[in-house]
Amino acid sequence: MANKQSQSNQETLGKEQKLLNQEAIKTIEKEKERWKEETVKGKVGEKEYYSDSGIPIKLLYTPDDIKDLDYMEDIGFSGEAPYVRGVYPNMYRGRLFTVRQIAGFGTPEDTNQRFKFLLKNGATGTSVVLDLPTIRGYDSDDPEAEGHVGAAGVSIDSIEDVEALYEGIPIDEISSNIVTHLPSTTVVILAMFVAMAEKKGIPLEKLSGTNQNDFLMETTVGSSLEVLPPKASFRLQCDAIEFASQNLPRWNPVSYNGYNLREAGTTAVQEVACAIANAIATSEELIRRGNKIDDFAKRLSFFWNLYNDFFEEIAKCRASRLVWHDVMKNRFNAKHPKSHLMRFHVQTAGLTLTKVEPLNNIARAAIQGLAAVLGGAQSLHVDSFDEAYSAPTEESALISIRTQQIIQTETNVVNTVDPLAGSYFVENLTQEMAKRIRDYISEIESRGGLVSVVESGWLHREIADFAYQMQRDIESGELKIVGLNYFPSEQSKTKVEVFRYPESAESTQKEKLRKLREKRDNDKVEKALRVLRQKCHEDVNLMPYIKEAVLAYATLGEIEELFREEFGLWQFPLV
Amino acid sequence: MDQSLLTRFQQKDPLVLGKLLREVENQTSLGYEFLKLCTTKTGNSHVIGITGPPGAGKSTLVGELCKKWSEMGYSIGVVLIDPTSPFSGGALLGDRIRMMELAKNSGVFIKSLATRGSLGGLAASTADIVQIYDAFGKDIIVIETVGVGQVEFDVMNISDTVVLINVPGLGDSIQTLKGGIMEIADLYVINQADRPGADESVRDLNMMIREKKQLTWKPPILKTVATNHEGIEELINEIENHKAYLKTSNLWNKKREERNLKRFNTQINQLFHQKINEFISTNNHIENSIVRVKEGKEDPFTAAHQIFEGFLTDHNIK
Amino acid sequence: MKIKVVMSKLGLDIHWRGALVVSRMLRDEGMEVVYLGNQFPEQIVEAAIQEGADVIGLSTLGGNHLTLGIKVVQIAREKGFNSLIIMGGVIPEDDIPLLKEAGIAEVFGPETKIENIAAFIRSHVKSGIA
Repeated sequence: MANKQSQSNQETLGKEQKLLNQEAIKTIEKEKERWKEETVKGKVGEKEYYSDSGIPIKLLYTPDDIKDLDYMEDIGFSGEAPYVRGVYPNMYRGRLFTVRQIAGFGTPEDTNQRFKFLLKNGATGTSVVLDLPTIRGYDSDDPEAEGHVGAAGVSIDSIEDVEALYEGIPIDEISSNIVTHLPSTTVVILAMFVAMAEKKGIPLEKLSGTNQNDFLMETTVGSSLEVLPPKASFRLQCDAIEFASQNLPRWNPVSYNGYNLREAGTTAVQEVACAIANAIATSEELIRRGNKIDDFAKRLSFFWNLYNDFFEEIAKCRASRLVWHDVMKNRFNAKHPKSHLMRFHVQTAGLTLTKVEPLNNIARAAIQGLAAVLGGAQSLHVDSFDEAYSAPTEESALISIRTQQIIQTETNVVNTVDPLAGSYFVENLTQEMAKRIRDYISEIESRGGLVSVVESGWLHREIADFAYQMQRDIESGELKIVGLNYFPSEQSKTKVEVFRYPESAESTQKEKLRKLREKRDNDKVEKALRVLRQKCHEDVNLMPYIKEAVLAYATLGEIEELFREEFGLWQFPLV
Repeated sequence: MDQSLLTRFQQKDPLVLGKLLREVENQTSLGYEFLKLCTTKTGNSHVIGITGPPGAGKSTLVGELCKKWSEMGYSIGVVLIDPTSPFSGGALLGDRIRMMELAKNSGVFIKSLATRGSLGGLAASTADIVQIYDAFGKDIIVIETVGVGQVEFDVMNISDTVVLINVPGLGDSIQTLKGGIMEIADLYVINQADRPGADESVRDLNMMIREKKQLTWKPPILKTVATNHEGIEELINEIENHKAYLKTSNLWNKKREERNLKRFNTQINQLFHQKINEFISTNNHIENSIVRVKEGKEDPFTAAHQIFEGFLTDHNIK
Repeated sequence: MKIKVVMSKLGLDIHWRGALVVSRMLRDEGMEVVYLGNQFPEQIVEAAIQEGADVIGLSTLGGNHLTLGIKVVQIAREKGFNSLIIMGGVIPEDDIPLLKEAGIAEVFGPETKIENIAAFIRSHVKSGIA
């Protein structure tokens, strides 16, 4: 809390909690000037250095760079406010970060096999990615789905597919991550997951896992043919969160997706600020609906993207916890300690993977993964080296798991909590990141809040401008990428074994749908959909009605077509 | 001129229309050849200009209008104009994305143009594009101007009906437009009328219109919410009313005569410019004179007069 | 003569970053780029015909290059429209010969310099009607 700190400087001066003695700081500042004159002068050039998100970086950080910090107030202990050092007191000694590798391709049966392979080799949870028609709300037999079924993820059309996907997987014992991306997809898939558990007789309180559920994914990060209006998508996002907070005590019904925003084109600061701004908007909406902040805040989780700027990314992780604690405690007056702590999943940065010399990506992902652990992530996905070519093969997915296992067991970094705390540089950078995250949240709110900046297209322009500038910097060589524009690769193409999607997925899924539509009670489907349609226009949570529909074997595409009809389509802003 | 091209054009082959629009856009000799052929066959299309500040929702509204018109059985040609980058000479033409739904409907043909240095809100080739659409048999031709904020007067010179779109809360921009607002538009639309301030905007416009009492056509003011398809039918009716007014007042024909004359004048000027530029660039002594003018050693009036006299003598004109 | 490019994301593919950045940078190279957002082959070809495009640029990361990508070429050629058709995105090496055989003039990976794409376009552009 740098701002608050500087205001109250006078009163806290000389207090015990101050990180450093103010007399000593004065001496250090004086000595620093001398050092600059006598020792440094002439040894450094004119060049200025910046972090990836544009923070000026000094040659040397010294105690005076963190002179305003108060240990108890600004840093503290692990498992205690303000959670800069980590959300759990024992961190990785208590529980190692979850090794979570994404899988998803072909039919649910295909992906189920991959789940079993990964679990056998040490994965500690499942994580599934869906194909584009499923994400965008089309059934496999929809003309819009042609060419996409089972291609970049698994195809889900009905509750039968969810049952096939988790066949033989102990969902009451290990956690299930479902990369649903969009709220409109989330509400349907989550309803199917919950309905499946009920059918199996698994108590809902045993279900643990996460779904993504971020309206920015629906309206900003990804473009598509038919997009729901931001307000409608935001409403569905809140419906899923509210439903889970009341029925699924171990489920994270949202993972605010800084990750894909960053991939689309933002700085680390914007990534975190937008995600927290979304959590703020959600909290306001759920409170408006009559929920208490402590009923749901502990179930909100986040998803970060870690690039190669090692210390900035670590500082980002620490700063995001600091800002979240402040928002929950001081803005929303949350009382439960669990509401104050930010838990996040990390995936290494897909955008930093190069197609040239692809094995270099193993080094990149390892460094990014290490940053995630030093930043206190709760779970991790390490990208596979071949992802600039295709979805990972079994071999490359295994290297990703091994990378995580090496970090966990061979480096010893997990043995002590937040080992970089106290570094003048890292603490200074943490404070600077926190300040910039707060400033960007304020900017969003000054423009009417997150839903408004999406509706107006402002956020799309921010992203497009960033992505464009980054490409220009790469082409001019200002941004150096090894093997690409820095020591450009001379070797001929590395032979990369490409993962092939099962081509039969489309016909298999279509056939399953045909049979389903034949054997289900279509009157029952009609009736469930009619109720849902009507409820779209009422100020109620849609989840129970969606669950009824999927239990009647309404398909994902049928439910989402209903959303498109009732909520209308939104025109993606021109950027 | 390839005869089969003409035949295919007459048979309404979209491929050929696309090609000819492209030729005309690039001002190629084939394009001019074709323009010569089709001029006398034109004058039947209702040309509608849509203008207004950025963010007013012009493209969305044009899309809505076209959808309705094509349902009514009209065949439509659309011209969308976006600015050329002054730095690279390139352009990013993004308006079409708003109308992609229409691409499925063969009755609507859409052409995106970059301004390529023109400043009046249109591209230099717009009038020629309109001519080709007209000759192809389009009932309605819609021109959407660049829409960069200032009043774009050029659209008046080539349209029968000009629609000016604004949004609530853009009061300031109405003020900036005020200079030309009365002269330019035949219809006013307050789009996104579900937003606060719509009624105030209508009232402001009404006041401005009432200031001009001598008008024989009183421009109607309409409210639309293009994203929800609201107000589109009313707008179409008013556009139809304006067309009827043009016909009964004989302005329909007068506008066409003026347009023909204007195109003739533009052509004459262009030819003359070309000739005199040729003359200047092929006479070395003129270049010396120009250098002296540039350096301020000779006054531009005398120099220009002398060169002009020289040009007349050279061409035996006296 | 200004080169006109019609740029589209293929089908449901959601990642707009690449297509938009390339569009902006081709503008910087002096070209006129009509950006279509996400479209299916029929609409892409229809738009290219109406615009009299010299080039159709397709962007995909979603794995639909062999299906929808090739369909764009087929529809265009069926209609007698012979513009240059190029593709960019995450495309497996092994598929590139298949795409080229089908009539995609060139496939650009994620690390291609835009000036190289522009140079390729300039040297290969031909008229929309054969």
